Amino acid sequence: MSAAGSSNPEFVVARVRARRGQLYGDEEYRKLVRMTPAEIARFMEESSYETEVNALGSRHGGVDLIEYALNANLAKQFEGILDWSEGSLYDLIARYLRKFDAWNVKTVIRGVYTGASQEAIEVDLIRAGEFDDRRIRRLLEADSIEAVVEALEDTIYGEPLRAAYAEFEESDVLVPLENAVDRAFYERLLENLPGGEPIRQYEAFLKAEVDFRNATNALRLARSGAEIDPAEYFIEGGELFTRDTLARLARNVDELVEYIAESQYADELGPALRELEEVDSLIAFEHATDAALLAYGDRLGTIHPVSVTPVISYILAKERETENIRAIARGKEAGLSADEIESELVIT
Amino acid sequence: MAKDVKPTRKNLMAIEDRIELSERGHDTLEQKRDGLIMEFMDILDQAQDVRSDMADDYETAQRKIDMARAMEGDVAVRGAAAALKEHPEITTQSKNIMGVVVPQIESSKVKKSLDERGYGLLGSSARIDEAADAYEELLESVILAAEVETAMKKMLEEIETTKRRVNALEFTLLPQLYENQEYIEQKLEEQEREEIFRLKKIKAKKEEEEAKEEAEAEAAAAAAAVEEPEAAD
Repeated sequence: MSAAGSSNPEFVVARVRARRGQLYGDEEYRKLVRMTPAEIARFMEESSYETEVNALGSRHGGVDLIEYALNANLAKQFEGILDWSEGSLYDLIARYLRKFDAWNVKTVIRGVYTGASQEAIEVDLIRAGEFDDRRIRRLLEADSIEAVVEALEDTIYGEPLRAAYAEFEESDVLVPLENAVDRAFYERLLENLPGGEPIRQYEAFLKAEVDFRNATNALRLARSGAEIDPAEYFIEGGELFTRDTLARLARNVDELVEYIAESQYADELGPALRELEEVDSLIAFEHATDAALLAYGDRLGTIHPVSVTPVISYILAKERETENIRAIARGKEAGLSADEIESELVIT
Repeated sequence: MAKDVKPTRKNLMAIEDRIELSERGHDTLEQKRDGLIMEFMDILDQAQDVRSDMADDYETAQRKIDMARAMEGDVAVRGAAAALKEHPEITTQSKNIMGVVVPQIESSKVKKSLDERGYGLLGSSARIDEAADAYEELLESVILAAEVETAMKKMLEEIETTKRRVNALEFTLLPQLYENQEYIEQKLEEQEREEIFRLKKIKAKKEEEEAKEEAEAEAAAAAAAVEEPEAAD
């Protein structure tokens, strides 16, 4: 419910365990990859997505219905977890779920920038973060980027957005604003974490996430050959890079790949790095980082059963389920074969 | 047709001039047609390559965007697209291939670097970069295809026009002029023959009249000679 009061992991973990049991397993995925989008929607309607599919069925159809139902269910699940949580547990969960606030802020900014209607923006929001309905309403009612920045004044995005707004006004490009929002999220992810072994496990996971994000962005920059200062895109808090290392390595793909291949992530990312040399694509690398994070998440769920870690593990598994179902539905819509879709799924 | 022409020597000379001009024009147009066909064949090869590249680029781009929509979600892909500020621009100039004016399309702001696409790097993925890359390449292929295929279409139109002109000269105008020339020549020859015949006739008649007059004169002279001695007596 809030960061005040004492932590209640027993209560939250018990409920999360029950919800974890509702997640789709290998058997369901095997069935889903052989279904048409309409059959997938029907299958979802007969499982834990019933409410969302029925509620959205009159407004959306086909794969859009599946995607919006997945997002709505994800938001409902995570909102519930935040509602149950108290004390430091709330803070630990909220700092990860703020990624959805960042998503919503970027969606509103992009919507205002392109002159999209309030309804069109609202339908794309995923209300799984910390923002309450009042804040979301204020954001949706903003008629300019400046109004969006003002509506976020008292949040973690207020200061960085205010700083980036001048640059936006000068260039009329959203990059500084979007980067400010994402940086605000990532930099508070590892800020002032309390002590204790479960938290150390959680911290290791968050650091891996920051490291993977830094590694992916460095590879994207190095391969693009764009005249961009890599240090500008460095996220503090990880263990793999320092600002200077990243700035140096992002200018040379080979050195960067070698550096990652010799790091603590060699086992998880090694095969994907080798594939990177053969195929001119970063997708396999991103796939490998997703799989590595999911494996971390699964380990988190078993080491300390009554702590924040099983909750985070569930959040990751739920996110992955959403991504997998969406990938299957969109893949089917695009005419991909079952094998091709299966190769894109990240299941542990 | 030929009967509409007056069979005069002046008309014959005018027709001969037109035949000479038409034959020269026919040769020139034939050369132009052959040249255009050769240029067209080069452009056709290029157009086939460009079209095949465009089909490949389209397939790649479609696949990349399908994968991006599948893995990142349609909302994320639409959001990234909405962040774009600088839209591609094209300017057209023209160039001349054997008298045919074809467009030359220059594009700008099609290929963009990561920081020019508008979406933030920290919160986006390589799938969106790759879909954007693939679509930028597709757009370049489309622009090139538009240039080459418009040139090809214009060349084809010009070849058709030239071919029609060559055929009109070869199968309509020149045969008609030759026919007129022959008609006038025949008519003139006929007139000449008639003239000769007429002259011969006149000459014969004249000679006949002269002979008659001479005979009469001789007869008169003979009669006078007979009368003179009688008077002397």
